[in-house]
Amino acid sequence: MSTLLPFHTSILNEIYDPATSDLLVLARGLGLRRIICTLLKIYDSPQNLVLVINATQEEETEIGEELGIMGCRKPGLRVVGYETGTSRDRQDLYKGGGLIAVTLRILIVDMLQNIVPIDLITGIMVMHAEKVSPLHLVSFITRLYREKNTSGFLKAFTDQPEHITSGLSPMKNIMKELQLRRVWVYPRFHQEVKDTLERKRADVIELAQNLTDNMDDIHGAIIQCMTITLSELRRSKVELDLDGLNLPAAYFSSFDHIVRKQLDPIWHKVGPSTKALVRDLGVLRRLVGYLLVYDPLQFHSYCQSLVEAATTTNPDSGPSSLGKSQWMLTDAANIIFQAAKRRCFVDAPFDDQSKPLQEIDLDDDDEAWNAIFELEGRPSAPPRATKSGTKRHEWIPKDIHPVLEELPKWSLLVEILEEIEGEILRMESTITSRPVEEPPGTNTTLVMCSSTATCTLLNDFLSSKDDKRPKGEWGRRMMLKKLRSWLWWEKRKKTAVEAPSGAGKKPIGGPSADDMIWRGETGDDALSEALKKKDRENAAKKASRRRVRGGGPVGIGRASSVPRENPAPGVSDALADDFFTDENMELLALDDQELEFNLLTDITTMEFVTEFDAHYGLLPSAETLLIRAYSDDTDDRMLDEIKPRFIVMFEPCMEFVRRVEVYKCSNPGLPVRVYHMVYANSCEEHKYLAGIRREKDSFERLIKERGSMLLPIIEDRRAAESDAIIKTISSRIAGGRRELNKAPSQVIVDMREFRSTLPSLLHASDLLVIPATLTVGDYIITPEICVERKSLADLVSSFNSGRLYTQCELMSVHYKTPVLLIEFEEDKAFSFEIISDLKSYAKTNTRFPPKKKPTGNPAEHDYSSPTIQSKIVLLTLSFPRLRIIWSPSPYATADIFNDLKKDRAEPDPVKAVATGAEEDPEAGAGVNAAAEELLRSFPGITAKNVKHVMSKVQNIRKLCEMDLTQVQGILGAEPGKACYDFLHKGEGK
Amino acid sequence: MTLLITWSSSMSSSASSSKRPAPPAVIPGSGNNIIVSPLQRGNPILECIRNVGKEFGDIVADYQVGRTTGVLFLSLKYHRLHPEYIHTRIEKLGIRYTLRILLILCDITEHKDAIRELTKVCLTNNITVIVTFSSEEAGHYLGIFKQYEYKPPNMIKERVDKDYTSMLRTSLTSISRVNKTDVQTLRNSFGSLANIAKAQPEQLSELPGFGQVKVRNIKNAFEKPFRNHATNTLEFMQAGDTEDNGTGDGGGLLDGGTNLKESDSAYRPPRDPSPVWDIELDP
Repeated sequence: MSTLLPFHTSILNEIYDPATSDLLVLARGLGLRRIICTLLKIYDSPQNLVLVINATQEEETEIGEELGIMGCRKPGLRVVGYETGTSRDRQDLYKGGGLIAVTLRILIVDMLQNIVPIDLITGIMVMHAEKVSPLHLVSFITRLYREKNTSGFLKAFTDQPEHITSGLSPMKNIMKELQLRRVWVYPRFHQEVKDTLERKRADVIELAQNLTDNMDDIHGAIIQCMTITLSELRRSKVELDLDGLNLPAAYFSSFDHIVRKQLDPIWHKVGPSTKALVRDLGVLRRLVGYLLVYDPLQFHSYCQSLVEAATTTNPDSGPSSLGKSQWMLTDAANIIFQAAKRRCFVDAPFDDQSKPLQEIDLDDDDEAWNAIFELEGRPSAPPRATKSGTKRHEWIPKDIHPVLEELPKWSLLVEILEEIEGEILRMESTITSRPVEEPPGTNTTLVMCSSTATCTLLNDFLSSKDDKRPKGEWGRRMMLKKLRSWLWWEKRKKTAVEAPSGAGKKPIGGPSADDMIWRGETGDDALSEALKKKDRENAAKKASRRRVRGGGPVGIGRASSVPRENPAPGVSDALADDFFTDENMELLALDDQELEFNLLTDITTMEFVTEFDAHYGLLPSAETLLIRAYSDDTDDRMLDEIKPRFIVMFEPCMEFVRRVEVYKCSNPGLPVRVYHMVYANSCEEHKYLAGIRREKDSFERLIKERGSMLLPIIEDRRAAESDAIIKTISSRIAGGRRELNKAPSQVIVDMREFRSTLPSLLHASDLLVIPATLTVGDYIITPEICVERKSLADLVSSFNSGRLYTQCELMSVHYKTPVLLIEFEEDKAFSFEIISDLKSYAKTNTRFPPKKKPTGNPAEHDYSSPTIQSKIVLLTLSFPRLRIIWSPSPYATADIFNDLKKDRAEPDPVKAVATGAEEDPEAGAGVNAAAEELLRSFPGITAKNVKHVMSKVQNIRKLCEMDLTQVQGILGAEPGKACYDFLHKGEGK
Repeated sequence: MTLLITWSSSMSSSASSSKRPAPPAVIPGSGNNIIVSPLQRGNPILECIRNVGKEFGDIVADYQVGRTTGVLFLSLKYHRLHPEYIHTRIEKLGIRYTLRILLILCDITEHKDAIRELTKVCLTNNITVIVTFSSEEAGHYLGIFKQYEYKPPNMIKERVDKDYTSMLRTSLTSISRVNKTDVQTLRNSFGSLANIAKAQPEQLSELPGFGQVKVRNIKNAFEKPFRNHATNTLEFMQAGDTEDNGTGDGGGLLDGGTNLKESDSAYRPPRDPSPVWDIELDP
């Protein structure tokens, strides 16, 4: 662990006191984790019970590891998740004290069940404080905590000031919910931070790379599509305040939030085409991002998937014109798809079979491909064509000519790496020639990029780089390989589509070869997996320069201590070199039958490849190249442990620049050079600059708010509680005060419902919330009243899936008064009606809102497809005993529940859990909701047998691995067959 | 607004007295029409009932939309002026009809308390509440009730007969963040659902459009066990009663050192328990 910088120390001095509760807002990249870990280390002791909440799983592990490195190890940070033990075990763990990271929903349940001794908690550390809102679980936890414990501390942290935006005084709201009164704001422009970081600066070289012409075309076309979509959205009937939202803004994912925020109050009333527009914006934004990071083939196949997904219509979605993406019909979209294809290959007109160029468009693709496959099936070797000095490979269908454009940043990266190499040599020679002490740090070159996918891509590119070609074609070998596997996929897909049309008949000769290739492909995958075997979570990838293969970052931090002299590297280098060049050459030269064989042998060489991990650290660091994805605060540790002198930022990232600043300052004397790559005039550049601006603005806003903030006075809940006691006394005739305290109104709440906000509000309205895993219903209010809560989105989807019918069936069987609670959301409209779509807008635009119209326009009353209303009608007709509660907001629901509980008996939790779960031996155990949902959607699985399956099979993967008889053994002959067929449809026999 | 007031006044007058000659009350006939109580004469929602016939008839409810289904209608605006009206109507309704509906027209903005109160009243009187937000919608409801009188509930039941593509789509999109483009991508690259289930996270994350979160969601759905015992409440509740006094006891925290070692073995440690390589031992 590196030293703390002066501003870290002063922050710690401000907030370490366990008697105070604080909120710390720190700029991203300035080392929030360092501060949190230091604090945790201070508090670590078996006498203390410190809970870390609201951290993601990755963060929990990372914090644990970092604490381990800092020497806080036995027992260090323990993580409580869904897989850890029973509540009894947890109780012991809590009582043992120390540092414990808990998942929010488990902590709430534990607090409600008194599993965690709330009064003994020393303090709570809240990560991601920006997410806290009155309805957030953290607020619920804070309330429970402060009810019984006023002496403990609560420290909240956030490094995302941009997200503190809700309401008029967002920071105050957060502080109110967390019941704390002290806040510290440390932006990058804080004087102390500035003084520290700007004393020593890293040497930054900024490189702006232009896009290629094709990419520029696509970029422009996507932007055009976005503009079209935006203007369509403006024209839609919905009143949107999009004036400030022009194009640059739409580059950000925050744009979605803004649009959604404006649409949310009426989201369920918005028609499908408006929804499609909003969705399209997201798709386009992602597309423009992918353009810059994916290789051309991958981009092309993504485009294809988009088109395919848009053309296969869902029979359920009603009229096919609804929900279609409008931008796909524009000329610009055509440019996108054409250019995406052009970047990969062009249809080559050197053969009389090939089609004239003007006919190439998306529909013709299929025919063209059919022709290709015919050609490919033929055993005769196509003539070798030589074009632009390139040897034409046999396996390339002869009516396409591979273009395989490369991303311009790739060549730039190679040039940079060469420059770095020269620099290293120069430095070494000056050191040897003169008696200068070697500066600290290692010569390991660090390349940072945005995602693990890019890591893999760069890794592939660099390890198969072909220097003999002209610049811009260095990655030809990799691209050819990718093209080849892509062609195979295409062919495979074709046969998969054709197979069912042949009424179960096996296409002659096709499948076996396909299957072999399929296996071959997986072998290939396994191979590349082996290459990046270790440290998957951290997404670290290792790569080599053409001379050497380097080790991974697995043992980062240990590198410097491992002895360097060893004869092994030379050997493995040579082998590796051979292996890679040979493999690639062969792969491209072989024909199909041999390909399979070749790939199978690759699997055996796989073990050899993994040996690189064993040799890790034996290579001199100057020859190691590390490619990693940006990964939040973990990067700090990585920098500290590798101590690189050369860093290449493949994509711009504001936080990482700061991390480098911090790194530079905490390692005085270490020369650091940063290459910062960005595509000129692209959305990447815009995004980077606007991101910086946004952060600065939000900090300024926060500082302003703090200046004028009226500090919230935390009210004492006890006063309110005593009222409650009096109420209980007056309404009940009972003995001692103690007795009365023990009998507040209680509601049994299903465990899964803790995702929603209602339990928190029920607790706030003085109901005792008892968590339980229920089979029937979500809330049990009285022994007779059982409530199934549906938010609007849920309501629609569970009507469609038929789930609601089954739930109502179950409730009717087990309870006298089954209740369906339809819950609208607080800030959303309390209405069902659909705002009609754009089409009718032109005619009736003056008459908005539609409610005032005496007759209404035809679109609005086109009830031809079953409406949500008619489904409700059908439900009430089927279940006359079913009551419906219409609640405008969760707050109102809490009031209604209180009403319903008056003068009624209290429900019995043990009975409630057992209800409906007679056949389920594990009633009451927690459920993996996502898996259950997925399982339910399989054919052959109904609401009645789903519990049975879940008790028999461990997880879905296990179900997939069973053979037909096993599945039938669980589900019965007919449904078992249906389920098995569904799971395995599309596999080669 | 004016329309509504005249209607309400006429309604109350006809309810209270029969000075005017009562409209000819028809005895419920064919059964294909909605039978409307004469009290509802002039109510604007009558015009919004489409696709079904209407006839006036002498009934206790406001609308009889089926042999056993009776509907009371209440506009919240009217309810605000005459809060007792609905109670008398419910009282008159007695125990008639199997399915008893209170159709509420939500035409005021301060609806929260009114709806809350009506919900409670209806729950005690075995009446199902349906809230509508416009006269058109109310009329639509009434029409649908009549039309669907004998309709089997197949439309809202779980269905099985669907084609493979849409089934696969519903299955996979039930996982959070997976959209239909992703379904297509998954299908193209893995072929079958079973193969998707077996896919390695790395394979998934190499697909276009798949980020870390999406991959994790997919893996969670496929590979995490259905059951976890972290939140097994039943066991705790049953055992918890006997030991209730012990939970608040503070002794455990202080002598926690030994306690901890025993319990620790039951937990998945957050990281490898014994690192092979120890920093502090290194010179």
